[in-house]
Amino acid sequence: MTVKEASTGGLEQPETPSALVIGGGVAGMQAALDIANQGYHVYLVEKSPSIGGHMAMLDKTFPTLDCSACILTPRLSEVAHHPNIDLLTYSEVKRVAGKVGKFHVEIVRRARYIDEDACSGCGECEKVCPVEVPSEFDEGLGFRKATYMPFPQATPHVYTIDKRGHAACRLACPTGVNTQAFIRLIQVGDFKRALDIVRDAMPFPGTLGRVCVHWCEGDCRRGNYDESVSIRNLHRFLADWEREKGETEEVTAEITKKDKVAIVGAGPAGIACAYHLARMGYPVTVFEKRSEPGGLMRYAIPEYRLPRDILREEIERVEKMGVEFVFNTEVESLDWLKEQGFKAIFISTGASESRKLGIPGEDAKGVYHAIDFLDAVARGEKVKIGKRVGVIGGGDAAIDSARVALRLGAEEVTLIYRRSQVELPAIPSEVEDARQEGVRFMMMTAPTKLITQKGELKGLQCIRMKLGKKDLSGRRRPVPIPDSEFTVALDTLIVAIGQKVPSLKLLEHVARTEWGTVVVDPLTLQTSVSGVFAGGDVVLGPSTAVKAVGHGKEAAISIDRYLRGEDLAEGRNGQLYRPAEPDVDEATFEPQKRHVMPKARIAERKRSFEEVELGFSEEEAIEEAGRCLGCTVCCECKLCVDACDRQAINHDMKDEEIELDVGAIVVATGYKIFDVSEYGRLGYGKYPNVINALEFERLINASGPTRGHLIRPSDGKEPRNIAFIQCVGARDTQKGVPDCGRICCMYGIKNAVMAREHNPEAQVTVYYADIRAFGKGFEEFYQMAKTRFGINFVRGRVGEVWEAPDSHDLSLFVEQTERDQPMMVSHDLVVLSPGVVPSPDTARLAEELGIELGQDGFVAVKDEIAAPVDTGVPGIFVCGCASGPKDIPDSVTAGSAAAMHATLVLSQIASESGQPVEVVRHQKTTSA
Amino acid sequence: MTEKVHVPTSSFAEELAAIPGGEVVNKCIQCGICTASCAVARYTDEYRPRQLIQKILLGEREEVLKSRLPWLCMTCRLCEERCQEGVSPAEVFHAVRILAAREGYVPPEFRRVMDSLLNNGWLLADSYTDFEEEEREDMGLDPDLGWNDKFLKRIKDLLPIAEGEK
Repeated sequence: MTVKEASTGGLEQPETPSALVIGGGVAGMQAALDIANQGYHVYLVEKSPSIGGHMAMLDKTFPTLDCSACILTPRLSEVAHHPNIDLLTYSEVKRVAGKVGKFHVEIVRRARYIDEDACSGCGECEKVCPVEVPSEFDEGLGFRKATYMPFPQATPHVYTIDKRGHAACRLACPTGVNTQAFIRLIQVGDFKRALDIVRDAMPFPGTLGRVCVHWCEGDCRRGNYDESVSIRNLHRFLADWEREKGETEEVTAEITKKDKVAIVGAGPAGIACAYHLARMGYPVTVFEKRSEPGGLMRYAIPEYRLPRDILREEIERVEKMGVEFVFNTEVESLDWLKEQGFKAIFISTGASESRKLGIPGEDAKGVYHAIDFLDAVARGEKVKIGKRVGVIGGGDAAIDSARVALRLGAEEVTLIYRRSQVELPAIPSEVEDARQEGVRFMMMTAPTKLITQKGELKGLQCIRMKLGKKDLSGRRRPVPIPDSEFTVALDTLIVAIGQKVPSLKLLEHVARTEWGTVVVDPLTLQTSVSGVFAGGDVVLGPSTAVKAVGHGKEAAISIDRYLRGEDLAEGRNGQLYRPAEPDVDEATFEPQKRHVMPKARIAERKRSFEEVELGFSEEEAIEEAGRCLGCTVCCECKLCVDACDRQAINHDMKDEEIELDVGAIVVATGYKIFDVSEYGRLGYGKYPNVINALEFERLINASGPTRGHLIRPSDGKEPRNIAFIQCVGARDTQKGVPDCGRICCMYGIKNAVMAREHNPEAQVTVYYADIRAFGKGFEEFYQMAKTRFGINFVRGRVGEVWEAPDSHDLSLFVEQTERDQPMMVSHDLVVLSPGVVPSPDTARLAEELGIELGQDGFVAVKDEIAAPVDTGVPGIFVCGCASGPKDIPDSVTAGSAAAMHATLVLSQIASESGQPVEVVRHQKTTSA
Repeated sequence: MTEKVHVPTSSFAEELAAIPGGEVVNKCIQCGICTASCAVARYTDEYRPRQLIQKILLGEREEVLKSRLPWLCMTCRLCEERCQEGVSPAEVFHAVRILAAREGYVPPEFRRVMDSLLNNGWLLADSYTDFEEEEREDMGLDPDLGWNDKFLKRIKDLLPIAEGEK
C-alpha cells in the first residue's frame, strides 16, 4: 500500500491497511473507532466542520432520558486523539475508483481559512467578527459569526471561516474595493476600519463616493429582490464622517525604497498609481501640465457634485504619504525622465480634448465645447451664457454642462440627444436631478446645421431620428427621419459629444491605436516600451474616474513587480469569477426600500454651486448598510487576522485535493429530517410558532440559542399549551415517504416529556395515528409519559393548523378518533415530528461508489436479515441512517457491525502482505 | 370504546374495491384526517367520512347503502389530498353511490334532482323567469339561450332507465 506523499496533504503514510469512513455521525464514529482499535488505520471524512452528527444537536436520548452530549463528548475526544484515525473534517469524497482491497479515493478538503494545527479554539476571532448569520447547528434559531465553531465540544476544536466565493459588488468595482467588508463594518459602527478598507483599494472615498458611476450597485444581488444597496453613498458617508469628526490620523510618509517612479498626469489614474506606490514605499514624482492636481475631477466635474475641498484634501493625503507633485510642467520625452533617474514611468495624461461636431459655424460666438466650458467655469473664469442654451450629447459631461448653464443664469436649457432615454449614458440619478432642476430633454434629435448671423449663434437646425439596427456598441443606431428638420432658436450651444486623447509629444514615444489611445497589455498595462506603463483615459479613451483609479492601482502592482524583476502577468491572467449568490429565502424575504440621499431643495440649488447631495446621517448609513445581504458570508474585513495571536488565519487558503488508497469503505452519511414546509396545511415556515422537532431540541438544549429556556419563537413567551404532531413526512404515500420514520414516535414522546420537564405547568398533547413503541423500554416509556408526566395522547391526524394573526396562537382541527369527536383545539406552540430522509449527498456518493439505493433513497443493503451492513459492492459497507432510519443504539450497533466487516477485508490484506498488525489502542478518555 | 373484536360481517369492502375508485379502501388506518379536513363535517354532526369508511370496512353493507350520508360528500377531495395512506374517501363514496343506485337506494331529494334534470335537461328550469331574460338583455347578452332537448333525448336513449320513466 503506497500513498503518494505529495498528494496526501501531509497525512502520514500508514504502513497498516486502512479504511475510509464517510460521515462523522455517531455511526461513523463508532465504525472508525472499532476499526482503529483493531490496529488498522482509518480516514474519517466529514462534510461539516465538526464530527458528532445529529446526535450533537440532541438534548436527551430516549427512552432513558440520558444527556446526549454527555454520551457523545467522550467519544468525540476519543476519535480526535486516536493515533490510528486521521480526521478529515470540512472535506468531501469526490471520486472513488478501484475495488475491494484497493480503492483509490479523491477527497476535497475545503479551505477553512484557519490552520487546524495552529488554531487553539480560543475564539478571539469570533469576538471581533462583524458578520452574523443564522446558525445551522441551532437550526437557524440562533446566530453564529462568519468564523465559528458549531458547538462548544466541536471536534476538531478549531474555528472555521464560512466564505463563499466572491461578492458581485466587489467584482464589479474596477478598483476592487471590498464593498461587503466596509458595509458590514458600517453596520456594526466601526467607521474607522470601514474607511481603512476603502482606502486599501483607492485614495478617493469622498470623491468617488460622489461621482462614481457605481457599477457595484448595478451588480448588487439585493437588486434581484428589491433595490440594490446604496454602496457609493455609503463610502461617501465614511469620508464625510471622518471630515466631520476630525478623527483623522496624521498621515506620514513611509518611503522605504530607492527606485524612483515618474507619473505623468495628475488625474485620477496618476494619483491612484502614486498612492499605491507610496504605500509600497516607492518614491514617486507626479508631473502635471496644469497648476493643480485632479485632472478632469478638478477641471470638469462641477462643484455642486464634487466640492473642491473634498478632492483637495484627498489629494493632500496622497502628498503627505510622500508623493511629490511637480506642476506646470509638461513632460515631452521618456528619455528626459530616464535621465532624471526614474526607473519606471506611468503615463496618465487623459483624454481631455473635446470632440468637434464637424459642421460649419462651430467657431461662432456662443458655441462652447463641454470640457473647455466646464474647465473655464471650474477655474472661476467668467463665462458668458445666454438665455436659451442648447447642449448636444447625452453623457455625464452633457448633463454637467446643462446644469452648470442653469446655475450661470440660463433661462432655458435644452439637452439634445440623438438616441432615446434608454440609451442615455449619463448616471441616471444625475439625469433625474437635471430634469428636476428644469433641464429640458429633446431626445431622438440630431443637429444638422448651426444657424449664425455675423459670427454669432442664433439657432440650431435639427433633424428627428429613429432607432435602427444595433451598432458595434450594442445600442441601436439612430437614423434620420427624412424631411423632419426643424429649427431651435438658441444663443448658446455647448457641444458635449465626447473627448479624445490630445496629440502630445510624449505619446509619440509609445505605440498608439488609430484613435490615438496608447496600446497597453490589458493585464499589466505595460506599453510598447519596457518599464513604461499607461492607464486611464489615455488608454481607454474618455471613460470614468473609477476605471482610471482602477488602472492606477493595477499599474502600481505592475511597476512594483517590474522594479523587483518579477513576472508582470503571473497570477493576474483573467481568472473567471462567478459572483456568490446570497442565501435568501424568498418566502420570508422582507423588502425594504433603499435610503435616498437627501438633496438640497430644487429652488435653492438650481442657481447655486453648493453641493446638491447632502450625505447620509449615521443612522441612515447604519440602516442602509443593514440592507446588505452579505453574499459571501465572510466579508474579508480581516479583523480576525489581527485578533489571532497564533497567526492561524489565512484568507488566501485554497481548497485542497488529496488522494488516498484504502482497503475498505464504510458509508455513514446519515440523514436529514423531512422538510416539513411541504405540508402547507400545518403552517411550518408560515407561522413562527410552528417548529420542527430538531428546532425543539435546540430550544430545550442548555447549549442552544436560548440556553435551554423553552420559549416560543414569536414572542419569547413560555408556551403553556404545546401540541406535538406525529407522522409528518413519514407514512405518507402522497409525499413519497410511505415508510414509518421509526424514530419519530419515541423522540416525539421524549420531546413531550421534556416539554413537561421544562415547564411543568404546560399542557402537552401528542396527536398520533399509531404509537410504535417497539424497542426495549419503549412501551414503558410511553406509558410513563401518560401516567407520570400527564401527557395527553389524542389519536387522530391533524387536518390543518391556523394562526391568530395578532397573538400568533394556533388552533388545529383534528378528529379524536377514539371518541368520534372532531374538534378545534387551541395551542400556543406546535411541534411537528418529521420523519427522516437520506442526507442530500447520498445519491451522488452512491453513484460514485457504485452502490445501489432503495426506492426510498437510502442505501440498499445486500440482505436485510443476513447482511444488513453489506452493500452490493464488496469492500463497501454501510451503517447508521445511511441505510434507513435508526435510533442511536441501532446506529452504533450497525457502526460496529460495519467495522467488523471492513476489518475482515483489511485483515485479509494484512495477512497477504505478511505484515503483522500492531494493535494500538487509544487510552479511553474519561472526561464527560 | 367497547372491547368487542371487529370482524367484517360481509365482503362489502371487497365488493367496493372492484368498482373503479373503491380499490384503496382497505388501506385506511382510521387516522381521522379525512374528518378533520372535511368541510361538510365542519357544518353537520351527521356526516363523518372516517366513520363511514369504518362501517364499510366492518362490512355494514345494508346500513351504508341505505344511508343518505355517502350522498352528502361534496367531492371537494380535500380528504383525498391529505390522506397519507392514499385513500380517497370521495372516490370510495362515489363507488358506494354507484352500488346504492344500482340497488335502488337513492335518497328522495337526490332522486328529485335527477328527475328534474331528466325532465327539463337542466336544474334551474323551475326558477327561470322572464327577469333573467331581461337581465341578460341589460347586460348585452342574447336573451335566447338557444335551448333544445336534442342532447337530453340522446342521454335518455343511452341511460338504462325503466321504460316507463323515459
